[in-house]
Amino acid sequence: MDFEISHEQRMLVDTVRGFIKDELAPLEQQVEDSGVLDDATAHAIFEKSSSLGLYGMNIPEQFGGGGLSCLDQMMCEEQFGHTTDILIRRAFGNVYEVLLSCTGAQVDRWLTPAVKGDRVCSIAFTEPGAGSDAAGIKTRAVRKGDKWVLNGMKHYISDGAFSDFFVVTAVTDPEKGHRGISMFLVDKGTPGFSLGRDQQMMGIRGTSHLDLHFDDVELTDANLLGTEGEGLKLALSVLGRVRLAQVSARAVGKSTKILGLTLDYARDRVQFGQPIGDFQMVQQMLADSAMEINATRTALWQTANKIDRGLDPRADISALKVQGGELLDRVVDRAVQIFGGMGFSKDLPIERYYRDARIYRIFDGASEVHRSVVAKTLLKGATDLYDPWSN
Amino acid sequence: MKVLVPVKRVIDYNVKVRVKADGSGVDLANVKMSMNPFDEIAVEEAIRLKEAGKAEEIVVVSIGVKQAQETLRTALAMGADRAILVVAADDVHTDIEPLAVAKILAKVVEEEQPGLVLAGKQAIDNDMNATGQMLSAILGWSQATFASEMGIDGDSAVVTREVDGGLQTIKVKMPAIVTVDLRLNEPRYASLPNIMKAKKKPLDEKTADDYGVDVTPRLEIVKTSEPAARAAGIMVGSVDELVAKLKEAGAV
Repeated sequence: MDFEISHEQRMLVDTVRGFIKDELAPLEQQVEDSGVLDDATAHAIFEKSSSLGLYGMNIPEQFGGGGLSCLDQMMCEEQFGHTTDILIRRAFGNVYEVLLSCTGAQVDRWLTPAVKGDRVCSIAFTEPGAGSDAAGIKTRAVRKGDKWVLNGMKHYISDGAFSDFFVVTAVTDPEKGHRGISMFLVDKGTPGFSLGRDQQMMGIRGTSHLDLHFDDVELTDANLLGTEGEGLKLALSVLGRVRLAQVSARAVGKSTKILGLTLDYARDRVQFGQPIGDFQMVQQMLADSAMEINATRTALWQTANKIDRGLDPRADISALKVQGGELLDRVVDRAVQIFGGMGFSKDLPIERYYRDARIYRIFDGASEVHRSVVAKTLLKGATDLYDPWSN
Repeated sequence: MKVLVPVKRVIDYNVKVRVKADGSGVDLANVKMSMNPFDEIAVEEAIRLKEAGKAEEIVVVSIGVKQAQETLRTALAMGADRAILVVAADDVHTDIEPLAVAKILAKVVEEEQPGLVLAGKQAIDNDMNATGQMLSAILGWSQATFASEMGIDGDSAVVTREVDGGLQTIKVKMPAIVTVDLRLNEPRYASLPNIMKAKKKPLDEKTADDYGVDVTPRLEIVKTSEPAARAAGIMVGSVDELVAKLKEAGAV
């Protein structure tokens, strides 16, 4: 068992970290203030990042991606956590692994352009009546001759305003429950497909969250991703890695960055004639944050390593979804507490981190849902979830 | 033209340096080490010369402990073609002195026959600012130090030097040694494809003995100490008071 970070990993993280610090961090406040990242800036950061090979690093090399192992990807994703959602999307791409199920002509139409960054993709699963309950969707796709006709709506679709196409789940056989759901690739501009309002959110400013409306949208089998009725299964098989990357790893990165700022403040801020870091109650918060960050990162690396070994550690991923989201929640809450009034003030980004953090316990399956996955898996007898020596 | 770039593994510029308890030097155990920033600028300049079609091959060389291999891999990931590691010490705390480094480099130059040696003006660990000049003396080559701008003009290098009181532009006949200053360029990030490629680029491992150079230190470190802690400041009430205080302190 080798716990040493390799020199390649260090070089990679140095590049990603340096790029974020120099190219992305200076844009954060401007996006926060205006609520948008303008297209020219978006394009400029994409060009720079892409020329360094930092776009779509999670996708295998044969499809034009960076070909990173899951562990290496998590190390990069941790760094992504140092900046904001919209800047990550533009600089490094949200190229979902689910697109790797593209076959035949789908590869050139959707997968390759997505990996190159020529076309941007959003996942459209969530509906007003189906959040964590992904099988509870109402959007229907009905086969008519050699066509599919899509009707329904999606909401909270992240980055919908910018995206060129969407991976949409729809019920294709209502009799079969979660086995009657299929996935479709739907281009923006397809007749009958319209964009609704941009839902304003508590945080993650700059990323749009759109309603999508499908009104007799005609599709063909060329739009069907994977096989009919396998949509949910396919989605769940690849979304685990996305969840680990975009929630757990980024939460670790955000927590790390926030603790660094908090430590600086605890050293510098003087009250009652001494730095507040000298007070034991502040010290407890600092030590707890560091210990919890390390524990979560170690678990993250271990789970990523399982994926690299070809395992499908779904319950571990669920556990890390909860751990990551709740870690960030605690670390940022302590940061606000230690920064005091300055943590509440808009003069510092701490209050922004606090608002941006709250969604981590909610999106991609709420903590409660993932905890329940962990508990059910344990009760079914998966002792290896807490005891590696048991099997 | 072949360009040779010597690179040194030094304590990372972001690390807060700690002096060892016995005062014999700076503690380097479990401390982040990186390429000397001036050497990074030299590597970058060499890559730019290659991209501009003025150089064909970039060879990087490092002299020190075995771990300097990582520094060389970093240079390869930036875009250098080939690396030579000269192991001259076992202990990370051993600093090979400029004269020994220059002697080894002279031998490497003899073997490699580069048209240009691009070096950092100094290493940030001991600030000697001597290796490039010594190498020039040993080889009898032209030298241009503290380059803030440079170009190749036929068989000469045109170098703008940062000197006290301004800039001086000189033309030196190649082969030559150019030592680079901070403002010459901004080094690039190693790209993901280049990081992957770096693993496969050739890295020759040699020892100081292979070159017959004695690296025994000629200098003795008598004492290493932390800089004096900054004294507490005072708040002044007005500009007049500030000026008075500065006069008092003999600063104006």
